[in-house]
Amino acid sequence: MIRLENINKDFKPDAFGPVFKALKNVSFEIKEGKITGFLGANGAGKTTSMKIIMDFIRPSSGNIIYDVKLGKKKEEIFSKIGFLPERPYFYPHLNGRDFVYYMATLSGVPKLLLKERIAYWAPRFKIDFALDRKIKTYSKGMLQRLGFLSTLSHDPSLIILDEPLSGLDPIGRKEMKDVIVEIHRSGKTVFFSSHIMGDVEEICQEIVFLQSGELQYTGSVAALLHRNRNENYLFCVKNNDRYDLKTPHTSSTRGREDTIYFEVSADDKNIMLKELVENRMEIISMEPVQKTLEEIFYGAKK
Amino acid sequence: MSTIFTVAYYTFKELLKSRVLMNAFFMGCFLIALTYIASEFTFGVPQRIAIDFGLGILTLSSVGMALFFGVELLSKEIETRTIYMIISRPVERYKVLLGKYLGFLSILFLNLIILASMSLITFKVLKGDITNMILWNIIYIFIEALLVLLLVVLFSLNTNNTVSVISVIVLYVTGHAMDPNTLKFFVEGRPAFEKLINFYHFVLPGFYKLNIKDFVLYQENLSSEYLISTLGYGFLYSLFLITLTAVIFERKDLN
Ligand SMILES: Nc1ncnc2c1ncn2[C@@H]1O[C@H](COP(=O)(O)OP(=O)(O)O)[C@@H](O)[C@H]1O
Ligand SMILES: [Mg+2]
Repeated sequence: MIRLENINKDFKPDAFGPVFKALKNVSFEIKEGKITGFLGANGAGKTTSMKIIMDFIRPSSGNIIYDVKLGKKKEEIFSKIGFLPERPYFYPHLNGRDFVYYMATLSGVPKLLLKERIAYWAPRFKIDFALDRKIKTYSKGMLQRLGFLSTLSHDPSLIILDEPLSGLDPIGRKEMKDVIVEIHRSGKTVFFSSHIMGDVEEICQEIVFLQSGELQYTGSVAALLHRNRNENYLFCVKNNDRYDLKTPHTSSTRGREDTIYFEVSADDKNIMLKELVENRMEIISMEPVQKTLEEIFYGAKK
Repeated sequence: MSTIFTVAYYTFKELLKSRVLMNAFFMGCFLIALTYIASEFTFGVPQRIAIDFGLGILTLSSVGMALFFGVELLSKEIETRTIYMIISRPVERYKVLLGKYLGFLSILFLNLIILASMSLITFKVLKGDITNMILWNIIYIFIEALLVLLLVVLFSLNTNNTVSVISVIVLYVTGHAMDPNTLKFFVEGRPAFEKLINFYHFVLPGFYKLNIKDFVLYQENLSSEYLISTLGYGFLYSLFLITLTAVIFERKDLN
């Protein structure tokens, strides 16, 4: 839907200081119909990239190509995109409904249609009860949900969210993830940033991973996990100091309640099982090792 | 057009609900009470003291509001990132800017109407005579506040709020001081200086033009040419500031 080509962005924090390269030759694509997770530590350049996509700031060099499906003119394109900035804060004295109306009116949504949409989405965001309260009484999570609701008010086909899960409690995160999945199921493309790998791994099909302004990986989550799979099995057994295992395995680590963990290759799995049974060791569990995104991106470097 | 009115409507609503006008109202009551006391207990013409105080209050509150609320008009939206929600919509930035101005000026206008009515009623109670010059002065106060608003918004796009407020105060004070009439005595025989002062209002805002209070107080009239051309000056200068701000806002990286 949107393609970034060789995007560079230089900042000059002060007039005589050195330039700071926030984005270095970054290219990736937001694919239609997918949930794409935009990963990177704080300061990696995620917000900067999103601001460039939204035309809030201009790149120092490079191109952004918007799919013709979105439209040709800037106005057409932006009427099909819904954007939620990070840690949004709205007009404290307006009430929630006012704010949603404000945003939807700017997008030219007819009142009747808007009412229907609010009636549909507000309960899903668990914000319907608070729409007539002043925004200054809202909690962080409520602000996030109100922002999300107004992001959907004009029924965009592409939704761009900057850190939609940050600042929420575990239940709030879960609910927000469920809503993202639901929106995706209703046929929308979602692009959201996060610095937490687990969230992205859980709900995204595609990822874009930035590190210090440089693109590290872009592609599907499944392919990445498959490529980095490791055929080992993780064993957990009751500790027995008097006996040394003969089947090849990784050095063991101690677990809770006098257990030990170690990995065994797929070929040796059955041999190890046999040895354990013959020596009357107590097997607690055995499972294939699955690397997480976190381990793939950061673990290898340790 | 609809973008401008939508932004103006919600800007107005937000400000109205934040009760800035309540503060204005109470400040008005307090100062008008003070006017009454001052005109009772000082020597001189009570009507003159009343109108002097009244116009002073109007200027102080209009210019003060324009300065201190105006500086936040855009900068706060950027700081709280609401501006991103607005300009991610299919809108043009200059229309958003015009809408913000319109919304804020409506509040400023209401504030002026409330305070002006209160002080004119006080004036009337003291048996004052409401002249055309008084009404012109009230219009000029609005233009003065408009210029202050436009200046402070322009500054706030380019620097932080404190520097913006201080810069505008400096421009306001020098703009009032640069009156060729009052400085006549001082610049005589210094042709370069004289030129500078005569050209001041072409580049920087000549606030002194809008200061007609002395004429009001001593019940002298100004020619209608002066009154109208000054109004024209105010409009042209505003137009210049609006255009400049719109061009900068259109191109600015909104970080
Ligand atoms: N306006 C700016 N001026 C100078 N540096 C900036 C500016 N905006 C962002 N940066 C820097 O660019 C880097 C990337 O920032 P950002 O895109 O906000 O990261 P992320 O959203 O991934 O946490 C950071 O080091 C940040 O300090
Ligand atoms: Mg960020």
